[in-house]
Amino acid sequence: MSPHRLSPRRRRPWRLAAVTALLVLLTTATGCGRSSGADPGRVRIGFLASLSGTYQAVGTDMRDGFQLYLDIHGGKFGSRIVDLVVADEGDGGPTAVPAATKLIKSDRVVALAGLVGGGSVAGVVPLLAENKTPLVASNGRPELKDPSWVWTTSFMSVEPGVAIAQYVKDHVDGPVYAIGPDYQGGWDELRGFTDAYTRAGGKLANPDGKTTFTPFPQTSNFLPYFTQVRNSGAKAVYCFYAGRAAVDFVKQYRQSDIKDLPLYGAFLTEGSVLDAQGAAAEGIWNVLNYSPDLDNAANRTFVAAWKARHDRTPTTFAMAAYDAAAVLDRAIAAIDGKVTPQAINDAIGRLGQIDSPRGGWQFNAKTHAPVQKWYLRQVRPDGRALSNVVVQDLATLGG
Amino acid sequence: MGVVDAYLIPVVDGVAYGLLLFVVAAGLTVAFSVGGVLNLAHGSLYALGAYSAAALSDGTWTGLAVAVAVGALTGAAGGGMLAAAVAPLAGRGHLAQALLTFGVALVAADLLATLFGPDELPVVVPSELGTTATIAGHRYPAYRLAFIAIAVLLAGVGWLVLGRTKVGARVRAAVDDPQMLACLGVSPQVVQAGVLAAAGGLAGVVGVLGAPIIGPGPGMANVVLLLSLVVVVLGGLGSVSRVLAAALAVGQIQTLGIALAAGWAPFLLFAAMAVALVARPPRAVGSPA
Repeated sequence: MSPHRLSPRRRRPWRLAAVTALLVLLTTATGCGRSSGADPGRVRIGFLASLSGTYQAVGTDMRDGFQLYLDIHGGKFGSRIVDLVVADEGDGGPTAVPAATKLIKSDRVVALAGLVGGGSVAGVVPLLAENKTPLVASNGRPELKDPSWVWTTSFMSVEPGVAIAQYVKDHVDGPVYAIGPDYQGGWDELRGFTDAYTRAGGKLANPDGKTTFTPFPQTSNFLPYFTQVRNSGAKAVYCFYAGRAAVDFVKQYRQSDIKDLPLYGAFLTEGSVLDAQGAAAEGIWNVLNYSPDLDNAANRTFVAAWKARHDRTPTTFAMAAYDAAAVLDRAIAAIDGKVTPQAINDAIGRLGQIDSPRGGWQFNAKTHAPVQKWYLRQVRPDGRALSNVVVQDLATLGG
Repeated sequence: MGVVDAYLIPVVDGVAYGLLLFVVAAGLTVAFSVGGVLNLAHGSLYALGAYSAAALSDGTWTGLAVAVAVGALTGAAGGGMLAAAVAPLAGRGHLAQALLTFGVALVAADLLATLFGPDELPVVVPSELGTTATIAGHRYPAYRLAFIAIAVLLAGVGWLVLGRTKVGARVRAAVDDPQMLACLGVSPQVVQAGVLAAAGGLAGVVGVLGAPIIGPGPGMANVVLLLSLVVVVLGGLGSVSRVLAAALAVGQIQTLGIALAAGWAPFLLFAAMAVALVARPPRAVGSPA
């Protein structure tokens, strides 16, 4: 077969193509905000989340969760009217830092909340210290040397894996294959599991005894990894994936040789990905600090108010942002006199138990992250749709 | 025998994946060599098709057929609009085109995210295709086997049209000798615009059919474009059959390569690309432009 000669004149087009391949990786996003006049009866709060880019779904959930708290509390924190300035975090530090700088320096907010990415939090930390402004972070939480100005309402990335490790050890008869995405969040999530699991006497099925990391975010085909899982003789799989990767992973899992191996995960089926996964997700075990079916008064209020406004179930992202608003509300209410960033930061440190849709929790005085309970959930049919149903409590971590 | 058994699925999957990349990259390479346009919005044309699949394919064969038709039409319309958009840039080199089409890709990605939301969308295929097949005792998605057949069919049709028809002859003439083609009363510009529209239509169709493999969602257009560019760089923009070989090789690197050496997964593809660039025969580099 003779090739069709299509381009005899252009001899080095591959060079251009190679250069432009790099161009494709570059995208930009900019933050925006608005300003209004100062007033003692008002308080100006900055909210940052990914409203564009890879984490748009998570960022939107967080913004809606924060806004929901404001809506059902008359738009006030501690009897002061809130001027909320929302800005776009984009995909991470490079876009989050300029947006946070603008909120602090030109909008002069007294506190920041939100932030999806751990990298964004790490990038913003020096800015917080320099301007003595508190951040109530509701998702990403990197290891921090000095968390003086950072309060995290979600969890430390290693905790889901730590919480479920003993359960997996007790219920799986044989080695477990550990797999996750190749970036900071994936390393932390998987390290939490593998450390606790091997400490409990478990053995990893991975060929070299180390977690398999898949390139992130470009991995969309997991079948080759499943071949390796099968050849390793694993009796179960533990993974952490979110977003598109979680959808691809679960759908392909059920169409592969290892479809009957029990699948345990962190996040894996949380949020809108569950709809896209469909029937393939049924039976997956996963660990999280929240579930919409938790039976407590705060959760009933939260879920009912959420469902009145949105046609999707609330996620842990929305819940943590809702709690970030609750933290700011209670801290500002406790302030006697002028509401300054320093006063808010001090007040948060004295909050004690917080009544939350996830159940009661409090800040660890050292890490500034929650001491909270973790739940084992399984994807089961709930009415016409599938949902994550709480099976049992796992452990209380963070203390 | 044991080795063959253990790695049969990745090899088959590599063929499916490689053929998907081939049918996507074929449009990109033809648009470049004939249309003279380095189309960085090519991934967006695939995205148009993939979103059509998510919106229209409802598990019936009619739904799938409608999605394919809509994917083809929107893809072709997109390709036609790109041809019109880059026409004023003729003679200003490929960088101007690359910037323009890259800008179009950014705008398209934002429009699609606004229209369809920020989530990954599920794609439903007819239940006969949505099942799991068994190959020598191994489970494998039936849809991907069907896709192999369809991709071979698409490639065959493309080869026949380019190589055996009058239209194909004009297309090849537009590359080899546009002046002579113009003397024969056929406008090379019209041929080039037609090729861009056809490449867009192909990308749209492949987007619909490929959606169950690389599904619709934000960032997907970039993934598709990047992989196509890698294939085109490896195969060279000169010939369709070399692009086919490159696509199949990339497919195997991405499946068999990973199954054999998962730890090297992040580097395998670009290492192969680097080796191919270094080892490329000198005639391609030294000849006059």
